[in-house]
Amino acid sequence: MPGTLDKDGVGSPDAARTDADQFGGLVHAVAQNRDRTAFAALFRHFAPKILQYCLRLGADRSTAEELVQDVMLTVWLKAGSFDPAQATVGTWVFTIARNRRIDRLRKEMRPAPDPDDPAMTPASLATPEETAQMVQSSRQLQDAIETLAANQSEVLRRSYFLEQTHEEIAEDTEVPLGTVKTRLRLALSHLKRSMRDKA
Amino acid sequence: MTVPFHHPDDQLLIGYASGQERAGKSLLVATHLAYCPDCRQRVASYEALCGNWFEELPCAAHDGLDAVLDRMDSLLTAALAPPEPAPVEPPAAERTCGRLVPEPLRSWLPDAIDTATDDGSWREISKGVWLSGWERTLSGTTIRLLRMASDAPVPAHRHTADELLLVLRGAFRDEYGSYGLGDVAHYVAGTDHYARGASEEDCICLFLLDGDLIFLDEDGNPV
Repeated sequence: MPGTLDKDGVGSPDAARTDADQFGGLVHAVAQNRDRTAFAALFRHFAPKILQYCLRLGADRSTAEELVQDVMLTVWLKAGSFDPAQATVGTWVFTIARNRRIDRLRKEMRPAPDPDDPAMTPASLATPEETAQMVQSSRQLQDAIETLAANQSEVLRRSYFLEQTHEEIAEDTEVPLGTVKTRLRLALSHLKRSMRDKA
Repeated sequence: MTVPFHHPDDQLLIGYASGQERAGKSLLVATHLAYCPDCRQRVASYEALCGNWFEELPCAAHDGLDAVLDRMDSLLTAALAPPEPAPVEPPAAERTCGRLVPEPLRSWLPDAIDTATDDGSWREISKGVWLSGWERTLSGTTIRLLRMASDAPVPAHRHTADELLLVLRGAFRDEYGSYGLGDVAHYVAGTDHYARGASEEDCICLFLLDGDLIFLDEDGNPV
């Protein structure tokens, strides 16, 4: 439905797309021209989110500010590696913030595959049938994420993104503990249904 | 079949994407991702979901971050452009997928994983089944290698928490199916399962255990 505006004030897909392009353009300007005005615009948008993210995951104010600085410095240095085909700028910044706070707050390393590793199985190695399955599985997961009930999505968010315990979720959302567990189970089985069939 | 068939469940994938999952299981998930383009895509979808949640975080109007931006000014000047990434060595055919364990696991493992079983780096736990002397503990998860000769059964055991296997060489089977290169088997606490080697060469798996492993005698009593 082109031109339809979301009445809840949430950005329409078109508006979201424009936002993504806007931030993508800023990252590009940083990568190509070391553009400080573009960097400042990215900072004003993302720094408060990084701060909130770190505070909610248990950082004190000064550690959270250091993490903001770390993450934004990484944005400055790695702007050239941002690939708009892979992720939005918001998702890219989130993954940097996630990795830095695992390192800093949890004192753990973040294991990740190395895209340049010759031992990595490239997607091109899949048979046409497997590739078709992957495309379908990806579409199904996207559908499943979009059709999650709001209260299930909220439990998923608190559990995985904010790392709250079931008890904390129950208390914060004023919902019985059993309901929290049920919603989490329903959310995961909703997502799992989109997984390609197992033998 | 060229890509894995048995995948980590969504709990592990979303936990890996969000950063909630701890280092031990994340190492297994990340290594599976190197084998599995399908799960790489799935994790990317979950990262995008987390990216949306990140964008929706409520922010205070006066967050006091201007001072941080000011402080960064000199850092930005000092920070040089990152060096060009080193050119990647073109992979020789025999070095690629299959024989070489992919990162991130490769850096953790001993240089060769298929050493002779009598060279002192393997401990035989029953005929044709070995545990590696190599062992690491990461955020409470014990990590070893499990090796099964063709058709050799893993002896009956009980585990008190999650047990996870990732196939690095050969294949094994249990009552749920058969597992080849890059496949993941996930057994929750208390489940009975009977794995045995199912390939001509020895099957070698990354073996993760959250709790204790207790081998049982013929009557099902702890040894």
